[in-house]
Amino acid sequence: MDEKGPLDGITVVDLTRILAGPYCTMVLADLGARVIKVEEPVKGDDARHIGPFIKGKSAYFMSLNRDKESIALDLKNTEDKAVFEKLLGRADVLVENFRPSTMEKLGYGWERLHADYPRLIFASASGFGQTGPYKDRAAYDMVVQAMGGIMSLTGHPDTPPTRVGTSVGDITAGLFTTIAINAALFQRHSTGIGAKIDVAMLDCQIAILENAIARHVASGETPQPLGARHPSITPFDAFHAADGYLVIAAGNDRLFEALGLALGRADLVTNDLFTSNDLRTTHAPALKDEIEMTLGEKKVSHWLELFTAKGIPCGPINTINEALADPQIQARNMVVESKDTAAGTVRMAGNPIKIEGMPDPTRRNPAPDLDQDGKKIKNEL
Amino acid sequence: MTGPTPTKPAPLSGIRVFDMTRVLAGPTCTQILGDLGAEIIKIERPGRGDDSRGLGPPYLKDTEGKDSRESAYFLAANRNKRSLTLNLTSPEGQSIARRLIADSDVVVENFRAGTLARYGLGAEDMCKANPRLIYCSVTGFGQTGPYASRGGYDYLVQAMGGIMSVTGEPDGPPTKVGVGVSDIITGMYAAISIQAALRHRDATNEGQHIDMALLDAQVSWLSYVGENYLVSNEVPERLGSHHPNIVPYQVFEAQDGLMVLAVGNDAQFKRFCTFAGIAEIAEDERFTTNGGRVTNRETITSILADIIKTKPINHWVDGLIGVNVPCSPINTIDQVFANPQVEAREMKIEMEHPLASNGKVDLIGSPIKLSASPVSYRHPPPMLGQHTDEILTKLLGLSEEQLKKLHDDGLIS
Repeated sequence: MDEKGPLDGITVVDLTRILAGPYCTMVLADLGARVIKVEEPVKGDDARHIGPFIKGKSAYFMSLNRDKESIALDLKNTEDKAVFEKLLGRADVLVENFRPSTMEKLGYGWERLHADYPRLIFASASGFGQTGPYKDRAAYDMVVQAMGGIMSLTGHPDTPPTRVGTSVGDITAGLFTTIAINAALFQRHSTGIGAKIDVAMLDCQIAILENAIARHVASGETPQPLGARHPSITPFDAFHAADGYLVIAAGNDRLFEALGLALGRADLVTNDLFTSNDLRTTHAPALKDEIEMTLGEKKVSHWLELFTAKGIPCGPINTINEALADPQIQARNMVVESKDTAAGTVRMAGNPIKIEGMPDPTRRNPAPDLDQDGKKIKNEL
Repeated sequence: MTGPTPTKPAPLSGIRVFDMTRVLAGPTCTQILGDLGAEIIKIERPGRGDDSRGLGPPYLKDTEGKDSRESAYFLAANRNKRSLTLNLTSPEGQSIARRLIADSDVVVENFRAGTLARYGLGAEDMCKANPRLIYCSVTGFGQTGPYASRGGYDYLVQAMGGIMSVTGEPDGPPTKVGVGVSDIITGMYAAISIQAALRHRDATNEGQHIDMALLDAQVSWLSYVGENYLVSNEVPERLGSHHPNIVPYQVFEAQDGLMVLAVGNDAQFKRFCTFAGIAEIAEDERFTTNGGRVTNRETITSILADIIKTKPINHWVDGLIGVNVPCSPINTIDQVFANPQVEAREMKIEMEHPLASNGKVDLIGSPIKLSASPVSYRHPPPMLGQHTDEILTKLLGLSEEQLKKLHDDGLIS
């Protein structure tokens, strides 16, 4: 393929702020779409005011808005509305994450948009969705993490429910919105008609509960936090070696056997308590004690090297700096940078979508200053 | 809500996906594509099938209340698929796979890098044979780099990719996220990539190879936590249920249990203080802005903790929702599925299942709500090999005799 992303030629008008929406439009931009960020004059995206700051610019904002253009428009002002409507005339996708009914109040409800711009795909990402008893409530990531159950599954059996260490409620909503937009773009190719998309952060939390509902239904029990242990695969846990933790994930009988042999503990493999995954899960604490007894004799690095050589899935528990310095992450171009006019060189996470032949530059266009492209865009119109 | 009335088939109708994935990341991707209307042919090893069928307990209970062969784990990621057993290690099985791939739009696989190439089913060969084919490989570490040949699991990637180091209490050990979130988010990214490639194919008639890795996806969704490190060189630590950049945004103990208060801006903070009867705190210049509250995190948190513990959860949640301050009880999984909003959004669905005691199995719905061409739920998670004969007869025109021979040779089951 040529040196353009698969969404080359698609124009996205982006009214989103903070995290969920901007994460979605960042993925679209990474895939080659042109993203025009429409921001409130003066104040701009709220994320511009969330720290930490480098020379007055928000790192939070910069990490989510690379490769986008910015135009400041007041959607309550007649002149600016005319510009916005011209933009919509050229857009393929409109994304917003206001509270439900805000777009109607601004005069841009779906009925009007669909009548005036029948090919336009209109995606809304919100806390609770456009329907249901909570639709008018404000939501933040932590609210949906709490309400959606993931906090009740995360943590250790004797600690309070624990928030996932990044905003997984926002990010999964951003990703599901991206999936929906791509599906609608694909369908539009054959039908010529746009679509209205309604993605809720709370829905997305439910959608990623994995087997928790099935566990609840099948056993009648309420799933609880298991610390670092996997609920139905054993041994699949964080273990203590002489100088710290490592993770071992022996997902089947063959790997468990390899683990037993690597530990010099063939007795574990033949022990009647541990001969199947079901049995190992039932006797998980006893097995963990046995494994740690041996692991405690040597350092983490010794065990990682040995297990890796034997093909047993294992890994260190990296801190963020260790993770980003990892040779695999470097080799995959997962830390990229942009040159910001004020802040200088800013490093940020790269694009995990690696498509053969698609450009994956290490140097990205910086997040725009507020209204940086306003004049240019108005001239184009 | 009863959902929109479909006026069009789901958006990916007509797309056929040849699905050689197992366990969670790949199956999450193909379940999303299936929900969106694509036809998913799930290839499984004869006899044992997808490893995740055995990842119980719990298992679905049958009519006699005994465990069936279907694990909860498998049920979670395999609806809208049909199961075809096929031995990919035999030349004849490989030949059948190649014929089916020739008629597919998309291949998704999560074998270790290089394995399928040895079977003559690698991306290079398949894309050469069918230039419009979209071939997506999902692995732990990707097709390139020093770890390319290693097997990867969600858990390893949660550990290696840093998310465990920032999850958990400050004085506790690193903590795994309670679901296989690295797998799931990688599956979502794979679905995004495949759809973008379908759009590219519409524009150019050209397929391509997508190289999706759990570790890459994990790094990208560190998001601002990763970014905080990249700009400051300070290593982010576990904050328990606090937020690094926003205060107050954490768990508080009310009179009768734990709740979350998530104040996202200064106006909300003011409304919280007024409701709590401590309006003067909102006027205190140390606390009027989020920046000030982050700087004086301990002071403000202890003031709020003292107030919040004097009243029950309901008092706070009902009252604060009334003045538009985000907060929530911390639901357990049973409470989640009893929640009226979750119910209204049809996030729990019911499908028929021949092995289930009441003939039905509860599954988690799709969060993708499209107005005109909504997702559809057509097939329950299949039993192993349930559609083998049907698929081979319909798509490849195999006769009963040919099928019997394949069965006898153990190539299908």
